[in-house]
Amino acid sequence: MNSRLTQHLNILDYALSSLWRRRAKNLSVLVVFSWVIFLVASFQLVTQALTETAASVLRSTPEITVQMMSAGRQIGIPLDVSRRLAGIFGIQDIVPRVWGYYFDEVSGANYTVMGIAPGRMPLLDRLQLTLEDSGVYDSESRGKAIIGRSIRRTMEEKGSTLLSMFRPDLSQASFEVTGVFKSEVDILTNDLVVLNIEDARDLFAIPSTMATDLCVYVANPAEVPTIAKKIAETLPGTRVLTRSQINRTYQVVFGWRSGFASVCLLTALTAFVILAWDKASGLSPEEKREISILKILGWETADVLAVRFWEGILVSGIAFVLGCTLAYAHVVFFNASLFKPVLIGWSVIYPEFRLVPSFRLDQFLLVFSLSVLPYLAATVIPAWRSASVPADSALSGM
Amino acid sequence: MLIELKNVTKIYNQEQVNEVTALREIDLTIDDNSMTCLRGASGSGKSTLLAIIGCVFQPTTGRVSIAGKQLSRLPDRFLTLHRRQYIGFIFQTFNILPTLTVQDNITLPLVPLGIPPAEMRRKAAVLMERFGIAHRRNFPASQISGGELQRVAIARALINNPPLILADEPTAHLDSRLSEEFMHFMKDLKSAGKTIIITSHDPLVTEHADVDRVLDIKDGRIDAA
Repeated sequence: MNSRLTQHLNILDYALSSLWRRRAKNLSVLVVFSWVIFLVASFQLVTQALTETAASVLRSTPEITVQMMSAGRQIGIPLDVSRRLAGIFGIQDIVPRVWGYYFDEVSGANYTVMGIAPGRMPLLDRLQLTLEDSGVYDSESRGKAIIGRSIRRTMEEKGSTLLSMFRPDLSQASFEVTGVFKSEVDILTNDLVVLNIEDARDLFAIPSTMATDLCVYVANPAEVPTIAKKIAETLPGTRVLTRSQINRTYQVVFGWRSGFASVCLLTALTAFVILAWDKASGLSPEEKREISILKILGWETADVLAVRFWEGILVSGIAFVLGCTLAYAHVVFFNASLFKPVLIGWSVIYPEFRLVPSFRLDQFLLVFSLSVLPYLAATVIPAWRSASVPADSALSGM
Repeated sequence: MLIELKNVTKIYNQEQVNEVTALREIDLTIDDNSMTCLRGASGSGKSTLLAIIGCVFQPTTGRVSIAGKQLSRLPDRFLTLHRRQYIGFIFQTFNILPTLTVQDNITLPLVPLGIPPAEMRRKAAVLMERFGIAHRRNFPASQISGGELQRVAIARALINNPPLILADEPTAHLDSRLSEEFMHFMKDLKSAGKTIIITSHDPLVTEHADVDRVLDIKDGRIDAA
């Protein structure tokens, strides 16, 4: 076998034995390091799972949404605005949408109420697919509603069979629940109530000439930015949102929270690395004596340094693998129960969706470079000094 | 292996407040296949002299050559390689690593050499058999007796088959029986062609029949008397 390779294998074996000889100290370092990596990796996985879940669900949303603004706030948009947009080349369809928020005083929860015009929304035929088995989406009938799972839970707690909401004039509107959204789409439908568009107008007292916003469907997805720009130019005073912008908003929200949490964790990681540096900088008398003995026996400074390097690699490598594995298990099997509240926020109606993390090399490389590399630097660089312990220290009379 | 020292001086902490001159203008020649004893009180400079002969550090002035090879002023790396190949050390307190096994202690000098583990174990086995400690192969060094430690130290010094053996106060913490046993091993090594230099003020060592020469070191000089 190549003698250089054998040399390194021998040194690796010595490093392993050295770690084992000081196993109490090294085990405590391993546990703490693994825990810190677990936290950082968990946040990365959860954030990525959330943004990917949101992205996949958002694929069925309109390419462009147009909202009327006044004094920086959204107001109703007149339906005749559609005529001004009809001349823009590339627009396939313009569908008015009526939606709003309803505050349920009993549960203290905010519902999102969406009114859909029958036969107007593309992919509406797929809505049935998002419902639980017994659900039926009746697009034509009035007085019917499809709800999210948390709303059903609230109704069951109240013992209600009908969904009752109050109009602005405090008169009551009741709806028969004909379907409940599946758990797979919880992230967007948990607090959602879908009604016939006329029912939604009636509930919110929105006149038939108005809508909450307009959904613009485009034939060629590549033309979305251009068409959005033309709409903004044609209708000053409106806010034009593309699907990619909404997706980025979700990413920013989750990313912001994840980043905030990561900053806190990185502080802990930095403290750990500083401690590691401090530990590696000082040598116990026993360690100094050992290095001195090795030097006299013919070990070079580079050989001693190689031992320290392999010790660092083994500790940080094992901690990295352990931390990432635990993070993956935490997300997959325990649904990130430790951190999900931090990232998705607090709500009376709590989405119970399952997170599905996917393996991305760039994420693990990021965690690796934030954990293993600083630790190696913190242990190997001071080790250079310790490896330079003079050989004569082990001799008597010095 | 002829050892020559010419005008060797060693000063610690030169030009500092705590400057100490450990050796002063030492001229010394040690013949091949001989056993030489360096005798002197504590602080006389004998261990410093041994360390210079053993290429542990360089003299401040003067020249050291071993087997015709000039070793003064060489970088530390070359001294290390020279030690690895030519010199076996036996320390005063043996300096055996207590948490390593007997076998691992003996093979320590071989680890950075790129020798396959099986070959390392074979070499160690030969020496353990020779010194009667094979049955302690897998014992941690902290669990063996003083006499066995002594033999582990000798075995470790011989694992690379060096021509020069340096022993620094090897009997300082041994009783007379073990001291005699140690000198018996040294005699065998001398018979095998090794050159041996021992620092000691133990009469059991300095007055041993197989010691060819005793040099008295006093205040950093070789006492002509």
